[in-house]
Amino acid sequence: MSEAKFEPHSGAVKFTMLIAGAVFALMMALGLVMRAAQGGMIDVDPAFFYQLLSAHGAGMVGTAGLSGAAIMWYFVGRYVQLSAKMYWAFFSLFLLGVVFILVSIFIGGYGGAWTFLFPLPAMSGGAWEPWAGALFILGYTSIGVGFLLYYLAIGYPFIKQYGGLGRAMAWHVAFGGADPEDAPPPTIIAATAVTVFNTLGIVVGAAVLVVSLVNLFVPGFAVDALLAKNMIFFFGHVFINASIYMAVIAVYEIIPEYTGKPWKTTRIFALAWASILLFVMAVYPHHLLQDMVMPGWMLVMGQVISYLSGVPLLVVTAFSLCIYLVGSKLRWDLASAMLVLAVAGWSVGSVPAIVDGMIIVNKVMHNTQWVPGHFHIYLLLGEVAMSFGFMAWLVRGRETSEQGMSGLDKMAFGSYVLGGAGFCVMFLVSGAMSIPRRWAVHLPEWMFQDQVATAFGALVVLSTLVLVLKYVGGLRR
Amino acid sequence: MQTTILAVTLVLMAVVALTFLKVVGAVNSETNPTNAGSSRSKLFWFLVIFGVLITVGSLRQWPHAVAAGDGVVQVNATGGQWFWEIDAKKVPAGKKVVFNLHSKDVNHGFGVADQSGRLLFQMQAMPGYINKVTYVFDEPGKYRVMCMEFCGVGHHDMNDEFEVVKN
Repeated sequence: MSEAKFEPHSGAVKFTMLIAGAVFALMMALGLVMRAAQGGMIDVDPAFFYQLLSAHGAGMVGTAGLSGAAIMWYFVGRYVQLSAKMYWAFFSLFLLGVVFILVSIFIGGYGGAWTFLFPLPAMSGGAWEPWAGALFILGYTSIGVGFLLYYLAIGYPFIKQYGGLGRAMAWHVAFGGADPEDAPPPTIIAATAVTVFNTLGIVVGAAVLVVSLVNLFVPGFAVDALLAKNMIFFFGHVFINASIYMAVIAVYEIIPEYTGKPWKTTRIFALAWASILLFVMAVYPHHLLQDMVMPGWMLVMGQVISYLSGVPLLVVTAFSLCIYLVGSKLRWDLASAMLVLAVAGWSVGSVPAIVDGMIIVNKVMHNTQWVPGHFHIYLLLGEVAMSFGFMAWLVRGRETSEQGMSGLDKMAFGSYVLGGAGFCVMFLVSGAMSIPRRWAVHLPEWMFQDQVATAFGALVVLSTLVLVLKYVGGLRR
Repeated sequence: MQTTILAVTLVLMAVVALTFLKVVGAVNSETNPTNAGSSRSKLFWFLVIFGVLITVGSLRQWPHAVAAGDGVVQVNATGGQWFWEIDAKKVPAGKKVVFNLHSKDVNHGFGVADQSGRLLFQMQAMPGYINKVTYVFDEPGKYRVMCMEFCGVGHHDMNDEFEVVKN
């Protein structure tokens, strides 16, 4: 049941990863400009800073979603027949959304952050016109519709081929005692779970986007701010988690090629993904721990599930990777190194995330720079590293596989790890010093950390440029 | 508190990172993982027990408990783009102070920092709701209020202060 049968759409995926790599580099450059501005190294007008913040947030989350989707499409395409037309429809809607968002931000002046926290898009204090807010929301809507098509294109053949979404997630193995040999491969289990939870997340997101859109032009039409906040954080949390969980499929599929040990579906694996499905959707109240009007049980749930979310990651994904690696004949090249780094980075990043998910800690760390600290670890050293690992694997040639890592590879990899780790730790240190996140202007006593972070960030941007250029070179070969 | 949180976090992060480094060192070695199932099971139960202890320890006293009764000082604060309205500019040290927080427009965050800039607590300000938090200030002096939720182009300018005086 787990045999690969089809040829993936490698041309479409390679093109998508080219765009994703370039946008990652560009968005990192915007991040670098913001950190340099906070450090007083360059002058950036606050209104423009918040436009950059919005572009960086939306751009990074969107590109993480796009690259994760491309990775998942590629590997799912080994097991089921997928429609290339549906992929291009998804990709076109995604690009249309990007155009809307860019016009909204850089022509319309939208600077309400990627979280569009209701009713901020309609209450800019004169910084942007309603049409800019509306275009930003329409951009998200276009991307959301694209993703719904994408999941339809994946979910429908799963139902046909595996006899339902439950069986595609191996629930008959997890809960019914069926033989794991009768289960779908890990890629299908992961892809089905992501399809289910991200579809629900996007539908909830679409509802709050529509409300925000109407509110822009009919201010009297307002939704409860707490309800809107719940919906936005449910959508945002699920979406960014979906990006990582789609990208980890690259680890399931590629690492076995290096170790010679297949990543098998076991009962523990199926149980882990059943718990991920639940945890990803139930954990979002950990974003609302300082909203005391929330029901207390939801805040407790946010804290407890925040902790529990780390268990399948550490006990199943990270632990299994370690077992597969030990004693294997794995040959290090850029692809294998980036993929192992990604699981390590994701695991390490779960620590400050879980710590911040405790209400008592969140009281003094929420919305300080601790927060970008933890999510940059599992994005920069997690999802993005998975994407770069996948890109390196996509364009690997026979000679590069045999040579392992070149000097340039080692330098780019080392700089990426050092720069990324330093950049993220400076966020955590700044958070512990109570420096708020998302401030365009920093106090003089905060600037030293910003400047150190900028230096580490520059290292990341330079190494990313090398990784992207190497990918371009590989495509041309 | 923040220094302790940072130190504990960095140590735990280092433990995870060093575990991966050890594994990387064992690639291409003659090591053969034995008892993987047993080790996984031990890790699982360790995390479960550790999680239960942490959860009970950190929630035994509800962090958002609101004080009531005589002797509790009430302070009303409202956030707006981009200002704070606080109806008491002086609050007593050593007494329970309940902050009642509201917003006139969008979401804001009410963060209170001491003289050294260390954040003591924070809460969200939301249109249509009043969030409440209780705090006891031990030291007299000036305390800074910072906006902790992104609220538009004047977010970083949304600062205020109040004074804690000897009771």
